[in-house]
Amino acid sequence: MTDTHTQHKEISIPVAGMTCAACVRKVEKALMSVPGVEECSVNLSAGKAGVTYDPEACEIPQMAERIREIGYEVPAATIDLLVLGMTPGHCEHIIGPAVRNLPGVQDVSFNFATDTVTVHFLDSAVSAAEIKKVIRSLGYEVHDKGVGEEGIDRERKLRQEELRRQQLNMLIAWPIGALVMLFTFSMYEPLDSFLPDWLGDKYLLFAMTTPLVLGPGRQFFVHSWNGLRRGVTDMNLLYATGIGAAYGIAVINTFFPDAGFGGERAVFYEAAALLIAFIVLGRYLEALTRGRTSEAIRKLMQLRPRRATVLRAGAEVDIPADEVEVGDIVIVRPGDQVPVDGIVIEGYSAVDESMVTGESIPVEKRAGDMVIGGTLNKTGAFRFEATRVGAETALSQIIRFVEEAQTTKAPIQALADRVAGNFILAVHALALVVFLFWFFVGYDAFFEEGTRLILTPYELSELEVFGFALLVSVTVLIISCPCAVGLATPAAMMAGTGKGAEFGILFKGADAVEAISRVQTVVLDKTGTLTKGEPSVTDVTSDEILALAAAVERNSEHPLGEAIVRGARERGLDVPEPDSFDSIPGHGVEAIVGGVNILLGNRRLMTDRGVDIASLIPDAERLETEGKTVMFVARDDEAIGTVAVADTLKETSESAIRELKAMGLEVVMITGDNRRTAEAIGRQLGIDRVLSEVLPQDKAAEVKKLQDAGRSVAMVGDGVNDAPALAQADVGVAIGSGTDVARETGAVVLLRDDILDVVAAVQVGRQTMRLVRQNLFWAFGYNAVMLPFAAGLLYPWLNQIVSPELAALLMALSSFSVTMNTLRMRGYTPPVKRGPPPAPAETGPRPQPATEAST
Amino acid sequence: MRITEANGNTVSAALYTAGSLAAALVFFAATLAGDYDWVARPGGAAWIFALTMVILMPTVLGIVRERVTGEKAPPTPHDHEAMLR
Repeated sequence: MTDTHTQHKEISIPVAGMTCAACVRKVEKALMSVPGVEECSVNLSAGKAGVTYDPEACEIPQMAERIREIGYEVPAATIDLLVLGMTPGHCEHIIGPAVRNLPGVQDVSFNFATDTVTVHFLDSAVSAAEIKKVIRSLGYEVHDKGVGEEGIDRERKLRQEELRRQQLNMLIAWPIGALVMLFTFSMYEPLDSFLPDWLGDKYLLFAMTTPLVLGPGRQFFVHSWNGLRRGVTDMNLLYATGIGAAYGIAVINTFFPDAGFGGERAVFYEAAALLIAFIVLGRYLEALTRGRTSEAIRKLMQLRPRRATVLRAGAEVDIPADEVEVGDIVIVRPGDQVPVDGIVIEGYSAVDESMVTGESIPVEKRAGDMVIGGTLNKTGAFRFEATRVGAETALSQIIRFVEEAQTTKAPIQALADRVAGNFILAVHALALVVFLFWFFVGYDAFFEEGTRLILTPYELSELEVFGFALLVSVTVLIISCPCAVGLATPAAMMAGTGKGAEFGILFKGADAVEAISRVQTVVLDKTGTLTKGEPSVTDVTSDEILALAAAVERNSEHPLGEAIVRGARERGLDVPEPDSFDSIPGHGVEAIVGGVNILLGNRRLMTDRGVDIASLIPDAERLETEGKTVMFVARDDEAIGTVAVADTLKETSESAIRELKAMGLEVVMITGDNRRTAEAIGRQLGIDRVLSEVLPQDKAAEVKKLQDAGRSVAMVGDGVNDAPALAQADVGVAIGSGTDVARETGAVVLLRDDILDVVAAVQVGRQTMRLVRQNLFWAFGYNAVMLPFAAGLLYPWLNQIVSPELAALLMALSSFSVTMNTLRMRGYTPPVKRGPPPAPAETGPRPQPATEAST
Repeated sequence: MRITEANGNTVSAALYTAGSLAAALVFFAATLAGDYDWVARPGGAAWIFALTMVILMPTVLGIVRERVTGEKAPPTPHDHEAMLR
């Protein structure tokens, strides 16, 4: 839960029981009706409602209650705590109110016989650790009763329960539905030759179908009534109307065959039965998709370490990982999971970080290195000091980001939900119009004896005006049902954001996925993005010159100075302490070394001091053309040589740019370097457009210029320093953030420092949006194509109408197509991540200039 | 009668039921002009009543709630977009 404003808060409330886009609108509408709720966005696939609210005007239980009122569940987490030291009749009045005051706590109950306090709470609002902390602060001893993983398991259990429920429904509906159909057609060829006639008895069919309607079919009537009486419609209403009408006609034709609904040979029991079977199949597939698409989150949650070994009072203590505190010394042995984030203080090992960052090669860790909670120690042992625990760990932040991303809606999804929500009313209006037309006009004008239902042997000779108009009207209702629409976009988005997380690419929202898929121009910050951001000495006139320059810079904190000192030491040169040191901002430095005055700096410094550098200029210009930064060295105002320093290109920069260009994207490099240097780097990397001499504060304006020219821009840079430019861009990509995700401002955060991940992010985004479009096509396609047939538009020519069971089959096909299409994302790997990593640039890492103006 | 938050639902129910009944009655009356049997007239009227109820219930409830209690309408796609930015 985060503050978004001084008094507004955001919360993600789990909602169970939603099945379609109309449910989404229903829940949103209900939540928006709670006074104090400012904004609300419900994600069907995630089963969560993201709410922005004023905590002074409303409380979380109020929202949960409103959701329950309209027929949905708000699954609460439950934790059993062993609280020692409680006395009956007293302690519940101390612990109870304190715990209930925590946001998100719904109920607290006490069992004094077993010293157990059971708390029901929304884990998106309050954590188990916070609850325990409050009870501890009241002076009680609290122990977890072994339910630490309950939060993780609960979601899985809920999904499994839903799956089991739909499986059971299928087990009932399909065999009975199939038998009812078989028996119905037992009097028609070729079934009549081996099935006895009595199987087609209408009373037997009635007896078989009725339990189906009252069993698996009951849910649709209950849900639609719950919605209707609160003024909301959903897909269940369409199902209920369709099933109810088909079953109703069948019952009328069974008991009142002369009522004009087609007669006793036109009992539609198989239509009602198959309708239920197909809808239940659709529900089952949807439940399956929802379970699968949230697998990424579940995988991340399963990484959460359970136990930790810490040093307390000099002794090793095994404690739950969520009780590790900042500053604790944690011991990690071979094969152990790192329990929280921290800094290694002792020992050496290789740690597999692939589960968090996507980095496949184990990372070496020694004193001073950072370790990430949830990663796996491989060979060595080490100790580290905990720096981030609980909700602050990188893993928790990543989980939260992915969860939040999956709760948000892409603009395309919001549109689809709205269309689907209004579609239901429109469909009923259409059914009304269709009924009126066939009742008053169509029947008399076009109805003919021998009318058939498509793909059935029925001849509807006894069908009179009301029965005919009703049948067509009901078929319109069933066939128009956009039940798969609600799932189409969120399922694809969940799959896409989950897939991104697998590769260390965090999308902060579904809008980020959509935005990155539409990007036309990628602006890359040079330093730290294309280059390693760490300059090094590349060329020097002689070791003596380098030693003098290093002595001058010995006490410097400037990156270039540090590079020179490091370069000298790497070459084993002695770096004497300067007698004096004076920095000349923007120009260079001056120092006395061994009684000699040494100047180190750019042309302007030399010119200002009257140093003749003419002999060094040709060499300096050559180096600058190669993209290096040249510093002149003068001893007692006499030029004696040059030192060239350059940043180093990342190994994958060139191949990443090649990939981006191959994807049809315009690649622009932005840097504070001078034009000549910047263009030299641009040439090396194959970047056609270079924006040079851009001050950090002007980068956002440059991005805006590109946008004004009609381009959709992605800005790739450091999430902290380039924040304004990242915010200005259509999509900001923060690269190499490591694991401090929360600090980042980009809409897309890349955990690793590899620019190829930018390519992967675009590829995942494009693939996800491709999936969204395909899903929407499959969800709406059948409805759109079949609607005219269902409405009887072709009846005057074909003399056939669509049967309700065919309509149901098409409806189920819609869900089936969306489900299968979405599941394809599970096996997707961004092309850039397939096979061995792209070959580095021919000459390997290349030096790049590191000017003072570069960023 | 002044519509308040307390009687909003009752007023809505009265409105959509009356509207649906009116539609069914109009339908029934229209059938009297034609040659329809005893099943078609009330059966058709019942179907018209059901469909009209389904259409009017959420529509009327939404309108009444919005006018009486000043309840916010659910976010539009545009709002969502703004929310996401």
